[in-house]
Amino acid sequence: MSTLRRLSTLIPSAVAVGLALVAGHASAADREPYASTYTPLPTEELLITGATVLTGTGERLDGADVHLVDGRIAAVGTDLEAPDAAVVDAGGLWLTPGIIDVHSHLGDYPSPGIAATQDGNEATDPNTARVWAEHSVWPQDPQFPLALAGGVTTLQILPGSANLFGGRGVTLKNVPSRTVQGMKFPGAPHSLKMACGENPERVYGSRNQAPSTGMGNVAGYRSAWAKAVAYREKMAAAEADPDVDPPERDLTMDTLAAVLDGEILVHNHCYRADEMAVMMDVAREFGYQITAFHHAVESYKIADLLAEEGICSAMWADWWGFKLEAFDAVNQNVALVDAAGACAIVHSDSARGIQHLNQETAKAMAAARQAGMDVDEAEAIRWLTANAARALGIADETGTIEPGKAADLVLWNANPFSVYARAQQVYIDGYRYYDRNDPDRQPLTDFDLMQTARGMER
Amino acid sequence: MSTSMTGFSCRSALQSAIAVWRQCARFASAKPNELRPLLQGLFVALLAPAAHAGTAIVGGTLYTMEDGEPRDGMTVLVGDDGVVEAVGAGLAVPDGYERVDASGKVITPGLIESYSQLGLVEISGEATTVDAQVSTSTVGGGNAPVVEPYRLGPAFDVQYAINPDSTLLPVNRVGGITRAVVAPLPGNDPLSGWGAVITLGDGEVLSGPKVAMFGAIGAGSAGYVGGSRSAVIQRLRLAFERAREFRPGRFQQEQGGYTRRELEALAAFLEAEVPLVLSVHRANEIREAIALARDFELDVVIHGGAEAWKVADALAEAGIPVVLDILANLPVSYDQLGARLDNATRLHQAGVTVLLTAEETHNARLLRQIAGNAVAEGLPWGEALAAITRRPAEVFGLAEGVGTITEGAPADLVIWTGDPLELTTWAERVMIDGRWMPMESRQTRLLERYRSLEGNRPFGYR
Repeated sequence: MSTLRRLSTLIPSAVAVGLALVAGHASAADREPYASTYTPLPTEELLITGATVLTGTGERLDGADVHLVDGRIAAVGTDLEAPDAAVVDAGGLWLTPGIIDVHSHLGDYPSPGIAATQDGNEATDPNTARVWAEHSVWPQDPQFPLALAGGVTTLQILPGSANLFGGRGVTLKNVPSRTVQGMKFPGAPHSLKMACGENPERVYGSRNQAPSTGMGNVAGYRSAWAKAVAYREKMAAAEADPDVDPPERDLTMDTLAAVLDGEILVHNHCYRADEMAVMMDVAREFGYQITAFHHAVESYKIADLLAEEGICSAMWADWWGFKLEAFDAVNQNVALVDAAGACAIVHSDSARGIQHLNQETAKAMAAARQAGMDVDEAEAIRWLTANAARALGIADETGTIEPGKAADLVLWNANPFSVYARAQQVYIDGYRYYDRNDPDRQPLTDFDLMQTARGMER
Repeated sequence: MSTSMTGFSCRSALQSAIAVWRQCARFASAKPNELRPLLQGLFVALLAPAAHAGTAIVGGTLYTMEDGEPRDGMTVLVGDDGVVEAVGAGLAVPDGYERVDASGKVITPGLIESYSQLGLVEISGEATTVDAQVSTSTVGGGNAPVVEPYRLGPAFDVQYAINPDSTLLPVNRVGGITRAVVAPLPGNDPLSGWGAVITLGDGEVLSGPKVAMFGAIGAGSAGYVGGSRSAVIQRLRLAFERAREFRPGRFQQEQGGYTRRELEALAAFLEAEVPLVLSVHRANEIREAIALARDFELDVVIHGGAEAWKVADALAEAGIPVVLDILANLPVSYDQLGARLDNATRLHQAGVTVLLTAEETHNARLLRQIAGNAVAEGLPWGEALAAITRRPAEVFGLAEGVGTITEGAPADLVIWTGDPLELTTWAERVMIDGRWMPMESRQTRLLERYRSLEGNRPFGYR
């Protein structure tokens, strides 16, 4: 009784608040729903001098300067003149583009991992293309600032892999924010997370429900795409002819139709080479492009096919063995994919790994060298930066150190491919969000305060 | 290469006899936790005459781990009994010895992983390939209904399941891991049973059964005893009280929730004077572990220890070592909110013995990356290398000299292309018990098969 009464008194006020919010945003209907509210912080003009610069374009510049104006890269070169700029003496330091992780669950699977924080898999239906990972993101996840200290400036948060269609992913800037909208990378396309293999089979098979097999998986993809093709045709017909009624709005189909329109990029969790090849056929059958295979442990077996299709592979350096589909790992996977002319990316899928993606890349580079392949730092840094930006559809904005790009940068105290290197300063749009030597530039989440080791000290 | 190629010559027979005698003499004085050197010595000496008399590794930068200092221009002589004969500058290379030039390389003892499930796990997600814990028994496997919890508690012993043919062993061996502690995982009791130590050679791998008893304190174990962390501590204390009173000849019923079989195991553990490795993170619970060690005179080793830095002085005073994974810096649970990257450094500075673990069975080879990161966070370099060589050998009572390159030590060593704690170096050669291991694993075979995708020959024939 008392609960009911409390509810009944609460509801009207909640409605009132809701109405007030709507009234306050009369123009909201004009904007993209759930739009980014991120705005770069004001920055001073900056000249970073004398650094060893890995540009992300495959070049290494020694003793180079980078000039930042209004949060953008204005110039890259030696002996740059910028009399009004504050100077960061980077002699002996290394400068790279900000690290981009194309596969993260920060915010959706935060720390601590408790019953209240299992927000990464809507494992209630094999097709949840209608859910958006951003609506699970907890901006107070204490893992965000730790990733920042590892040099991560941009990250894609994906739904988990329980479902054939897990939902939409979102690309975030790794900035402290009260809201997820305040982290959303302006203009970055949405993604669709799809999953092959053992995970959907296990999750649904154990409930005696489809899919429980590889063939069940593929039937699931095909059925959904067939519906999406029809939905899209009906939408197009209604748009072309005012007398034709559009189909009833279906959020799942909205996502799939936007993929068919090329507006949403497909990021497909898929370990095995043979399954990737099948997924390429599914994409051909229904006319969409796969942007990247994730956890692509066996990409090296079909690197030629991936190059032909223009599909990126997001890979670990050496993680393996936790499932049969992850059993055929080789440490040279990343380098072999790159050498075949396909797009190679090092990703984390881990709140731990995201903190040292530079080290993961170093191991992938060393494994290549051990096998007699010729790979240097200037090439390998692309696996974390330029190639990752390409897969997220933000390559025009970030991922390399070139004039015109956003000043998303990491200044390292040593060669970032050394285990002893640490990110000294991390810039996002030219603002120094992290400084290893300045506690005032080391963000703490609300959760950290008086709870975590970092939060106990401040 | 001249001796023994044609068989069991007189000379090699004599050498074998000497080797056996030497091994037996060594064994008599060795700690009991590891039997392997004796068995290995017998095996090498009697059954497998070596292709050469011994090995001389000449030059390079040598870390003997008598201390953490490098030694240049040294020669390491390894006899065909698999034991280091001599280490010194300008040693003459005896006739018939294989001479290996290590100029420009770094030589360290083989790396030792202090906490793994090597040999117990093939594919983590496939129950039929995982033998690391005892929790429930099912009929028919797969999705068959759970029949009943199956309890062995502290009586569980991993040694019988260790698979010497596991593909994980070569993968980690070529990464420089030569020995590993194999720990049972918590199953359904705060005490999870006996662990073993293995040698990652290509023959018999079990080198020491029952090197330690394992258990866990914290939220996970609380789940086995009704939900409270306090009940875990109470149960452990009760268990050791009862075990202390246990008399084998007397008929005893279940005591303090432990069966006779379990109490028997605990009594044997108290008798054996081997470590009790307790996985525990929270500072106040580490204090309880310290009290347990004091009250029952146990050689406790803390594993995990996310908040060990908070009680570093107490750990140092009690002489309790900590096995930890330096990169486990996330507050992933309410047991580990105080996790931090410089945990090892703070412990070392307080005088605590630090062992490092990669906490990753498939990738135990990441041990050196863990150690390198510990250095980046302030642990002295030599201490970080000791934490993955000499210290674990000492803490787990492995055979004399293991974890060092010193006279009389089993010859487990690695020749690295450079700083072994760096990411851009690799193991060039790995020697275990005096024998060079093939630098091959299932992963290197896959690489060779697929490194070129050209040609018409189907991959199945490559």
